[in-house]
Amino acid sequence: MPPPSSTARTIPALCRGERALLTSWMEDPQRGSLRICAILIIAGCSTYGFSIGLRNGLEMATYVAIKLPAIIFLTLFLNTILNGMLGLVLGSGLGFRQSLQFLLTGFAIMSVILGALSPVTFFATLNMPEPGAPGSMSWHGANLLLHTIMIAFAGILAHYRLLGYVREFADTRRAGTHAFFAWLAGSLFVGAQISWNLRPFFVSPGLEVEFLRTDPFDGSFYEAVFYALKNVSPF
Amino acid sequence: MTDEPNPATPPPPPMPALRADSRDPQGGFEPLEGGCDLPNIMNKLLKRPLSLIYSLETDEDGRQILLRLLLISIASLVIFGLVVGTFSWQEQIWAAPLKIVSGLLFSGLICLPSLYIFACLGGLDAKFRTIVGVLCGLIALSGLLLVGFAPVVWLFSASSTSITFLGFLLLSLWIVCAGFGLVLVFHAGRALGMTNTAHLTIWCGVFLLVTLQMTTTLRPIIGTSDHLVNFQEKKFFLSYWREQLNGEYEERDEREEEPGASEL
Repeated sequence: MPPPSSTARTIPALCRGERALLTSWMEDPQRGSLRICAILIIAGCSTYGFSIGLRNGLEMATYVAIKLPAIIFLTLFLNTILNGMLGLVLGSGLGFRQSLQFLLTGFAIMSVILGALSPVTFFATLNMPEPGAPGSMSWHGANLLLHTIMIAFAGILAHYRLLGYVREFADTRRAGTHAFFAWLAGSLFVGAQISWNLRPFFVSPGLEVEFLRTDPFDGSFYEAVFYALKNVSPF
Repeated sequence: MTDEPNPATPPPPPMPALRADSRDPQGGFEPLEGGCDLPNIMNKLLKRPLSLIYSLETDEDGRQILLRLLLISIASLVIFGLVVGTFSWQEQIWAAPLKIVSGLLFSGLICLPSLYIFACLGGLDAKFRTIVGVLCGLIALSGLLLVGFAPVVWLFSASSTSITFLGFLLLSLWIVCAGFGLVLVFHAGRALGMTNTAHLTIWCGVFLLVTLQMTTTLRPIIGTSDHLVNFQEKKFFLSYWREQLNGEYEERDEREEEPGASEL
C-alpha cells in the first residue's frame, strides 16, 4: 500500500501505525515528512494549549497555544545532537536525521491525541468557575490534575507506539529499546526545564496573566523540586 | 550431512593473535574502513569504536589515528568548556575550557600506567600504543558526548544561578559520558584478549575518582574567585561539594521566597 501523501490522510495512517508510512519517511529524506509532523504538532498542541489557558481568558489561551508547541520544538532543537550521538553510540544504527524523524513522529502522534482530546478539555474548562470565584483554589488543583492526566495519557500512548517503530527500524531490538529510553530521558529532562522557563501555563491563583514571568531564566525546575522536597522533609 | 570430521579436510588455521571472534556486536573488532580522516574517525568512534582499536594494534598508521583521537578530545572539551564558561563569563570563558582540557588530559596521563598494568594483569597482550589509543578513545568519546550535552548545559547555565546545582549537573553528565567511554575500555579489553576484566573495573573506579577530584583541585571551574586556581586549600571533592550544598541552602533560607517561584 503506498504511503498517504496529504496531512489529512497521514493522521489515520499515523494512528494505525502503518509501517509503509514510516518506512517512506525513513528511507526517503524528503522534507514533506518533517513538514507534516510540524503541522500536526502545531495544530494539536496549540488547540490543546488554547483549552488549558482559556480558564484565565482569551489572552492566556493564546499565550499557551503558542508556548505548548514551542516546548516541543525547543526540546527537540536542544537535544538534536545528543539524540543523534546516543542513537549511534548505543548501536541502534539510527543517526541524527533518523532520531529527529522518530521523535518528531512520536510528538506528532501525541499532538494528534491531544488535539483530539481538546474538545473534551475545552468543555471541562467552560464548566469550571472563573478564577477568583469561591473555591477557585480547589478548581485550580482539579484543572491541573485533569491536564496532567490527559498529557501523560497522550504521551504514554504515543511513545508506546514510537517504541514499536524504533525497535523495528534499529539494527537490533535491544539497541532500539536502549536508544528509545535514552531519547525519552533526554526529552523529559530538558522538556521539564523548558516548561519551567516558559511558565506560566496554569496561572496560580493570585498571580498575573503574562506571556512569560519577569524572571524566566531565574532558577531551574530541578532546584525548585529539590528545595520543595527539602522543605517538606524532616531531615 | 554429519558433523563428523572429514579426514581429507585440512586442519583449521591457528587462531590469530587478535580475537576477531570476540568482537562486540555494537563495535565491530575489524579493520577500519574509510581512511583516517577526521570525520571518519569521529563517525567510527560513535558507531564502531573497536575498529579504531583494531587498526591501532595492527596498522602502520596507528599514530595518525592516535593523533586524531587526541585532536577530537581537545576540540570537544574546548567546546564543552566554552559552554561551561558562559555560566560566569569574565575570565572563566577561557579559564574553564583550559581547566577542563588540561584537567582531563592530566587525569588520563596519570591513569595511563595503571591502565596498562591492570590490562596486563587481566591477561591482555597488546602494544602500549594500543593502550594509549584506548585511553584516548575513552576521552574522545566522552568529549563528543559532552558536546552533545552542551546545548542542555547552556540552557541550565542560562537559567540557574546556583553554582552547586550546575556543578552537580556537570558531574552527573560527566559520569554518564565517561560511562560510555569506560564501556569502550571493557569492550576493547575483551576484544584484545583480556581473560579477566575485574582489574579494569578497579581501574575505572580509580579513573572516575581522579577526574572527580580534579574538579575540586582545579576549582573554580564554574563561578568566580579571586584566584584562578586554589592549590593551597586541599579538600576531598565529596567534602567540598557538601560544604557548597550546605552553604547555598542556608543562603537560600535567608532569602524571601518570590511569588511564582514554585509555579508552572
